[in-house]
Amino acid sequence: MDQLAAAAERVAATSSRNEKIAHIADYLQTLNDADLARAVLYLSGSPYPASDPRKLTVGYATLRTALEEVTRWDPETLSVCYREVGDSGETIAHLCRPITKAEPLSLGQAEEFFELLQRTRLTRSKIDLLIRIYQTYSAPSIKFFVKTITGNLRIGLQEKMVEEAVALATGQPAEAVRAANNRAGNIAKVALAARHNQLLGIEAALFHPLDFMLAQPLDQIAELEDPAQWYAEDKYDGIRSQLHVDNGRVKLYTRGLEETTAAFPEIILAFTNLAGPVILDGEILSFKDGRALPFHQFQQRIARKKVTQKTIDEIPVVFLAYDILMCRGEMVVDQPIERRRALLEGLSLPHLSGQTPVDSHGHIEDLFLAARARGNEGLVLKKRGSVYESGRRGANWLKVKKPFATLDVVVTAAEQGHGRRAGVLSDVTFAVRDGERFLNIGKAYSGLTDEEIKEMTRIFRAGTIERYAGGRVQLVKPQVVLEVAFDGMQKSPRHKSGYALRFPRIVRWRHDKTPGEIDTLDRVRELFEKA
Amino acid sequence: MRVEYMPDGIFLPDIGLWLDPDVPVPAAWISHAHSDHARGVHDTVIVTAITAQLYRHRWPVPPGRTQQVFPLNPNESMEWNGATLTARRAAHILGAAQLLVEYQGERLLYTGDIKRRTPICGWPTDPTPCDHLIIESTFALPIYQFLEVAEAQARIANFASECLAGGITPVFQGYGLGRGQEIAHTLALHGIPCRIHGAIAALIPYFEAQGYSFPRESENGAILLTPNAADQVGIPPSKRKSALVSGWAALDNARSRANVDVLIPYSDHADLSELLTLVAECAPRQVDIVHGYAEPLARILRNRGYSARAALVAMEVQI
Repeated sequence: MDQLAAAAERVAATSSRNEKIAHIADYLQTLNDADLARAVLYLSGSPYPASDPRKLTVGYATLRTALEEVTRWDPETLSVCYREVGDSGETIAHLCRPITKAEPLSLGQAEEFFELLQRTRLTRSKIDLLIRIYQTYSAPSIKFFVKTITGNLRIGLQEKMVEEAVALATGQPAEAVRAANNRAGNIAKVALAARHNQLLGIEAALFHPLDFMLAQPLDQIAELEDPAQWYAEDKYDGIRSQLHVDNGRVKLYTRGLEETTAAFPEIILAFTNLAGPVILDGEILSFKDGRALPFHQFQQRIARKKVTQKTIDEIPVVFLAYDILMCRGEMVVDQPIERRRALLEGLSLPHLSGQTPVDSHGHIEDLFLAARARGNEGLVLKKRGSVYESGRRGANWLKVKKPFATLDVVVTAAEQGHGRRAGVLSDVTFAVRDGERFLNIGKAYSGLTDEEIKEMTRIFRAGTIERYAGGRVQLVKPQVVLEVAFDGMQKSPRHKSGYALRFPRIVRWRHDKTPGEIDTLDRVRELFEKA
Repeated sequence: MRVEYMPDGIFLPDIGLWLDPDVPVPAAWISHAHSDHARGVHDTVIVTAITAQLYRHRWPVPPGRTQQVFPLNPNESMEWNGATLTARRAAHILGAAQLLVEYQGERLLYTGDIKRRTPICGWPTDPTPCDHLIIESTFALPIYQFLEVAEAQARIANFASECLAGGITPVFQGYGLGRGQEIAHTLALHGIPCRIHGAIAALIPYFEAQGYSFPRESENGAILLTPNAADQVGIPPSKRKSALVSGWAALDNARSRANVDVLIPYSDHADLSELLTLVAECAPRQVDIVHGYAEPLARILRNRGYSARAALVAMEVQI
């Protein structure tokens, strides 16, 4: 763990992606097979491979209780320390440095500790184990041991870069490593296979979500060069999901690769009898009387913690398939779209997205209007002859959507970000105007440059009215005006305005506007009515 | 002796003396020449000889005004309105000093900015027992742990040499007075040439007068800038690496805040362990804490049995 920590610090100390990858590759080359498998996992921010269902249930409170007992710092002092550092692993390492015996921690020992923490049921026993670790091992080891538990190293290293480092360290093509990891969801297994030249032997693992193929936006239908090269499908306003089936076992995963099986029992039931192994790409929709319900109605279903029969009756959901990744145990992502479509149709699924070959811009326009009339978002255009490009937002899928208007809003509260943005107030709550009052309507996290965030943080800090949530959140003087885009709007009791935006994101900082000139609640109502 | 914490600084009403005031006053003790302590032209100032020079450089007396300067060097004493004032050395920047005020049998010590480790440029701290201690708390949390001087100097030199060996320009950020000259002097000790920003270079003669050496200038050396100028370095990012030498560099988030690659946690302030050592050496009956994590340090000291409180503006303290 000490060498891993040293390599991780070298990664943190450069902003160049290539240098980061080179540092990791250099480090990986020094390791034997067993340590290579461990190191790539920990560097990816987890003690377990993605396809491993085990979870390490060690929460922030457990980590902190152990720290409090071992360092004897009072809770208030610890709270200030946590707030200033913004990362559990780093805070704990700093505070343990003066008291630990600073022994080296091998990756093998770290694995044993993860194992013990995972198997131990009692929180008290976990705390005791953590205390032993905090008292015994070097501060850098503790730092990265805990970061592996909390799941984010915060050194600007994504799993994709670990994959590239594996490729560099083993002399394999990066694409081959990437594809193998996507299939298997096990970077440890992939790293070993890469070292021993066995990447092709890595099989797809069912019940581990594969990366989704994504669509690029197409602003104007007229911009499309050769319309006759495309198929059109309706773009649905549901939850993009992947469905895995084998031998009566069914699982659902979202685009964020989270499992959502438990939320949709009727879908699971509907697919139990499908002959597997099969992996489908599609959309979960609330379907009633032959058409999809609007998203805000569907959302009430998602919001339910417990799924009752009543919920199922009121807002029934279906899985509407539109692509197939694995058919009867065979990966078909590299087959052309026509072949995949034939396989998909061969499954005789109850809900299948329609696919229409198009021939002209006018044809696409008609289909777009028809899709909108059915209450769908627009179209997805798929290139003839194209393969399924897992994890890519390539030019073979295009989405045609009616863009929503943007709103000019003012920031009313700001919150410390996480990770690289731990030191700045990057998460903002914003409001629209109603006469003299500002009413919150949403919260956004991204869309600004680091420079802008820094400058905004200075303005917020100078204009802080009140702090809460342990100082993380600051109510600020309404002065910073932002333009936000969003994908939809719904009524919501969560915000004072009575509305919430769907997927709000910051388009730009309107230096040219004052809070008096921002959009009003009336304008919001008008947009909602139109939508 | 009464101590008043005012919006413009700390005031000792019994002897009519301000400590590091923000605005011009009749009489002030200036602990050191950083501009958050030495600012404005007071009618009378009491300072060490070195601080007097640096202060004068930054705050020249305007034409038509006069200023009376009482030089008070370390371990020298003077009488002032019935009190005995004694300067004691403070490890911080060149010329920094603590002020010991003895009045009616009571000893009040004002540390100014201070650390317990010996600085690269400057003198060590004189531990000074007192009844009433006024101490700073810039880095008074256990997460702040600073390097020993030798280690900090080694890291500064190694960072610069490794960059230069790889054809990369090392860029340092340092304040105009203190850190800037300490980095430059460290580079000089290792024979590494350096181009130095004007604001830092302007004060080098005062350091040379105290016997510190400085590096020669070369196009192929390091670059030393003030934090404000750091964006104007004029070298593409792929051809440079930057280091932050600062107490804030103890935390990883300094990297994104200061937009630097390498962190070297060295400060002219004390970390928490140094503060605890200092307080123990002073053995005061009462500790008032200013500048920084005042509330957290007060709590930490109270948990260790001291009578300690964060000094708030408009608070009057008497023991």
